[in-house]
Amino acid sequence: MSGGIARGRLTEERKAWRKNHPHGFVAKPDTLPDGTVNLMIWQCTIPGKTGTDWEGGYYPLTLHFTEDYPSKPPKCKFPQGFFHPNVYPSGTVCLSILNEDSGWRPAITVKQILVGIQDLLDSPNPADPAQTDGYHLFIQDTVEYKRRVRLQAKQYPPLV
Amino acid sequence: MDSEDDMHDANDAESLDDDFYSGETAMDSDDGDAADYEFIDNDSDDSDDLLSRRSQQNYTILNESDIHLRQEDDIMKIASILSISNVAAAILLRHYNWSVSKVNDEWFADEEKVRRVVGLLEDPRALPNVKELTCGICFEVYSSDSMRSAACGHPFCVTCWQGYISTSINDGPGCLMLRCPDPSCSAAVGQDMIVSMASHEDTEKYQRYFLRSFVEDNRKTKWCPAPGCDYAVDFIVGGGTFDVTCGCSYSFCWNCTEEAHRPVDCDTVSKWIMKNSAESENMNWILANSKPCPKCKRPIEKNQGCMHITCTPPCKFEFCWLCLGAWSDHGERTGGFYACNRYEAAKQEGVYDDTEKRREMAKNSLERYTHYYERWATNQSSRQKALADLQQMQSIHLEKLSDRQGQPESQLKFITEAWLQIVECRRVLKWTYAYGYYLPEREHGKRQFFEYLQGEAESGLERLHQCAEKELQTYLTGGPSKDFNEFRMKLAGLTSVTRNYFENLVRALENGLSDVDGHGGSSRTGGTRSLGAGSSKSRGSRSKGAARSSRATDDSAHWSCEYCTFANAKSATVCQMCQQRR
Repeated sequence: MSGGIARGRLTEERKAWRKNHPHGFVAKPDTLPDGTVNLMIWQCTIPGKTGTDWEGGYYPLTLHFTEDYPSKPPKCKFPQGFFHPNVYPSGTVCLSILNEDSGWRPAITVKQILVGIQDLLDSPNPADPAQTDGYHLFIQDTVEYKRRVRLQAKQYPPLV
Repeated sequence: MDSEDDMHDANDAESLDDDFYSGETAMDSDDGDAADYEFIDNDSDDSDDLLSRRSQQNYTILNESDIHLRQEDDIMKIASILSISNVAAAILLRHYNWSVSKVNDEWFADEEKVRRVVGLLEDPRALPNVKELTCGICFEVYSSDSMRSAACGHPFCVTCWQGYISTSINDGPGCLMLRCPDPSCSAAVGQDMIVSMASHEDTEKYQRYFLRSFVEDNRKTKWCPAPGCDYAVDFIVGGGTFDVTCGCSYSFCWNCTEEAHRPVDCDTVSKWIMKNSAESENMNWILANSKPCPKCKRPIEKNQGCMHITCTPPCKFEFCWLCLGAWSDHGERTGGFYACNRYEAAKQEGVYDDTEKRREMAKNSLERYTHYYERWATNQSSRQKALADLQQMQSIHLEKLSDRQGQPESQLKFITEAWLQIVECRRVLKWTYAYGYYLPEREHGKRQFFEYLQGEAESGLERLHQCAEKELQTYLTGGPSKDFNEFRMKLAGLTSVTRNYFENLVRALENGLSDVDGHGGSSRTGGTRSLGAGSSKSRGSRSKGAARSSRATDDSAHWSCEYCTFANAKSATVCQMCQQRR
């Protein structure tokens, strides 16, 4: 569609990220076993915000870009079974700016996506539940919900 | 609000303008302004006698160019009232579902807010005044003359704009509400910008969505739902029935867009259609493969085992699959578990003939539904047949008849009218079956009255159909006949009598057979007879109380059934008509 600008744009994204990115975040294209780089898949890490139950966790997120990018948003996935009301059981994140039918704009950068998802972690959107477990606890049992979030934070310690 | 006056002035000027070139289409499409216009659209009067006969027409048929004209008209109107560009006016109108009055109201109530919501910036910003700019999508650097931006000034290169626009157009009508690609910016991307950059094919698609939006997002217009029909119908809400007849001659209900369904209301129709789609497939299977439990009437499938059936709780009735008799009467002596002597014997005697079976099944709710469904469907297909006949009549027979009988075709209009009436009657009759299905079983009086009316309607229609089909044959095949005028009288007469009858039937059903409530126990003839004549004043005028007392003190040999009003002989303790106890 956009004349195959996906790779060009991702190269630029990569450059921009190297120059400057928010503290604690990681975002880099996938490296294949033979050392070549696959620009279409990015391995990222999102740190839980300080002062929230998510603090201390470094959550792995994979961005899957298509050739339609940036006309179409990338698919963003946490590990399968990730505990959050707006994350599908498959791990896919449900967020308005990542929805090609509503919030996505081609000028949204990788940085904006990652920061957007960090925001989502501690402020879930109950109008758009994607999993029963997280959603029900969030709505009905705050104490247990917070416990599960903190437990999950421990499961994703800093990589270093 | 001083702008109010300006608005009216502008409108008046407009309407003068309109009058000028608008004999055809310029009925104002917005209720807010409709009062400014003295004339009401009646341009389709010449189209069909049948149409004009139905009270006044409260709708207008629009073809594609009518729609275009109206759309442009409204855009111009808004553009001139608000002194904004046509492109901006189009964006505004789209946002407020093409309601001119709504746009006016909102705009003059809070222009700033409207601008913000819709994405129309007050003071457009140009591209930043530098030599080179970075495209916000591909992040490449370009000279500023190969960059474009919406009113917000966010620069993107032409290639990326094209990609953005093309993706959005191919994603559907959402392209009509396109905003700047910058995530934090809500500036609207107007039609002019889109057309200047989209491919020819995409532009066409976009224009198509734009036109469709004017019909689909507009509260007052809908497409005709007939397959292949391109007309839209503009409807003035509030005037009586929702039935409209499109320029393609398809009649439909403007409210629910199902086919026209008077006298039944939209809710009933949707219930009925839902039921049909859910049950028609099941129905055949159930009837073919199951039997109703003789006690609780639930359908039972026998998928294995012997003839000894035990119905599921709570019923738990034990019976014989073959004769449907209680199992307690069965056992070794009746032939064991796999046969039933009683059944065999009875079959020999012909007890289990079809009628017997039917009667037994009649209590079954499924059977009840099938009863109504079959008749509903039969009338549907009769109507299709009548439509085909009508077309044949118009295309072949009328000319032939005109030859044979030496009559100008203009004198044969009565035949077309007869057929149109038949088609319409079949439609009404069809829907009376959905009506009957939902008429509560316990309302015996209404049911009986209803069935009587339906029966009369059916036989009346048969008479008309017979005359229009069979009797016409003789004049089609034979030479000129003196009797032809008589035939004309007869058929025209039947047509008008049938029309009256059906119109009254529709009215009676639409107000819920309220006559039945009204005269409770009075005589049984009053209600039914006056229907055709239309002189309904006399009945129902007696109050319920009065009617009841008259029944109590009724002098002589009769008592009126409380349920169905039938006048029974004094000696009877059970109503002969509906079997209710006195």
